[in-house]
Amino acid sequence: MPEISRLGTGDKLIVNADDVESCAGAGEALILDLHRRSAAQGFAIVWRDRRGLAARTLRIFDVKKYLNGEAEPANAARHTRTADQVGRAVADISGNLCGQLAFLGEMAVSAVRLIARPGRLRLRDTMLHFERAGVDALPITLLIGFLLGVILAFMSATSFRRFGVEVYVADLIAIGLFRELGALITAIILAGRSGSAFAAELGSMKVNEEIDALVTLGLPPMVFLAMPRVIAATLVMPLLTIFTIMAGLLGGVLVLMSLGIPATVYWQHVFNSTPLGNVMLGLSKAAVFGLLVGLVGCAQGLSASRSADAVGRAATAAVVGSLVLITVFDGVFAVLAYILGI
Amino acid sequence: MTDEIVIKVENVSAGYEEPVLVNINFSVRRGEIFVILGGSGCGKSTLLKHMAGLTPPLAGEIRLMGDPVSGGNAADRARALRHFGMAYQSGALFGSMTLLENVSLPIESFTALPRAARLLLAEMKLDLVGLKEYASFFPAEISGGMKKRAAIARAMALDPEILFLDEPSAGLDPVTSAGLDRLILRIRDLQGVTVVMVTHELDSIFAVADRCVMLDQKSRGMLAEGRPADLRDRPPCAAVRAFFNREGGD
Repeated sequence: MPEISRLGTGDKLIVNADDVESCAGAGEALILDLHRRSAAQGFAIVWRDRRGLAARTLRIFDVKKYLNGEAEPANAARHTRTADQVGRAVADISGNLCGQLAFLGEMAVSAVRLIARPGRLRLRDTMLHFERAGVDALPITLLIGFLLGVILAFMSATSFRRFGVEVYVADLIAIGLFRELGALITAIILAGRSGSAFAAELGSMKVNEEIDALVTLGLPPMVFLAMPRVIAATLVMPLLTIFTIMAGLLGGVLVLMSLGIPATVYWQHVFNSTPLGNVMLGLSKAAVFGLLVGLVGCAQGLSASRSADAVGRAATAAVVGSLVLITVFDGVFAVLAYILGI
Repeated sequence: MTDEIVIKVENVSAGYEEPVLVNINFSVRRGEIFVILGGSGCGKSTLLKHMAGLTPPLAGEIRLMGDPVSGGNAADRARALRHFGMAYQSGALFGSMTLLENVSLPIESFTALPRAARLLLAEMKLDLVGLKEYASFFPAEISGGMKKRAAIARAMALDPEILFLDEPSAGLDPVTSAGLDRLILRIRDLQGVTVVMVTHELDSIFAVADRCVMLDQKSRGMLAEGRPADLRDRPPCAAVRAFFNREGGD
């Protein structure tokens, strides 16, 4: 090719293709490229091509269409400047925020209407989502909770042993699980399992025009689809959290028993270090985290665009958004608990 | 068919952000099968979605039985919604429900009928489209043609005066497609419903359409309006002739 780039007006390029039996895409691209260069640099091309492959290629592809721009002309229009990309990103983010706010507003209105007419809630769907988000999640919740208790016990026992106070590991586990970790870990599981499922289900329904069908049937998607999921997530979270905490406490007692501390002593410490305020704080957090997971999952699903790719992105955004909001609200709870002295 | 106008589309610009169609005007008479036709991407389905009130048009007004579909107050829109049923291109049946539950859903939501009566009514609608025996099937268990029939049954659940059909024969083999055309004609003849249908299937157009309007992507407007046979025999422009003679598209 370097020799060809030196050719100019009056030069002649002889291409011997007599022995070429067939010509696939790459060969056609070569033929087109030679003719494009010939037009740009002014040299002539003489084909020795007994099978007429070049002529056939030039019949299919009009060289004139390829004269402007060297590479990837079709993609050129898609390449935008950084400023454009930043502008689009800002517009996307602000549009997304507005969409989420609108969703919250619609949910609030739907909730008020539902309180006025509770019969409009689809109880069967709510129970179905309750089962999927709760009962079906029980094995993984119990497992993670149990392992969390075991890890907490081993981790703290190493340090506490140095001071001869291993028995206070029970206090640490109880306070940690009831106040903080029980709700947090369960919320993370719920976000991963159900938040993403909500977004994917609703996103798929949008792709399949099922949401449009609901609207034209006069059934508001908020009441019909979002509300059962949000209510189920909000109600199921405190219950799941209780199971996580119980499994964690069980994990803790097994570790402490293996370290020579009697189970009765362990449970006594657990009860003594668990005032009702701690329990209520943990369960309140759980309900709020459930609400957040339900809201984010449904918002992402209902705002997904109509493609399979968008459904995947909605599911991812539901998990990420839920985790961010759970962390933020956990911080808010920590500050409130400190102020209120809980 | 009577001369009573049941759908009026006035000066409508259709599209989501940018208009794909501008200044669209036509009206549909009671009992008519009216086809919106045109090439792919010309805005047929977008216009139908405006007519069904799913998204408001960028300009202009659409009225169903005199009630505005978009704009106006919520009561007007709710009233307009009750005038029509819509069957979507994909069927849009709810996958977690059986066909019977799909069809009985709108009946359950908008009537105070007892459960047994609701189910009987839904079964009758499925019978109307030849799917009575499949009432307990889920959408994933039936063929594409059956899904479209079930979608029509659901759209007819509340006995609407207008039936919107978005590409009913898309993706179907010619035999199934012809069967669906016969079903549409039967529903119109038996129930006296007005049908507005979006399609670009010429066989379907000639089989069912009383009148049609042809939309054009290039001019973003209406190329022609009239009886399909008239448009084929006396095309007002080259694009209409090309469409009806299956020319171009290379």
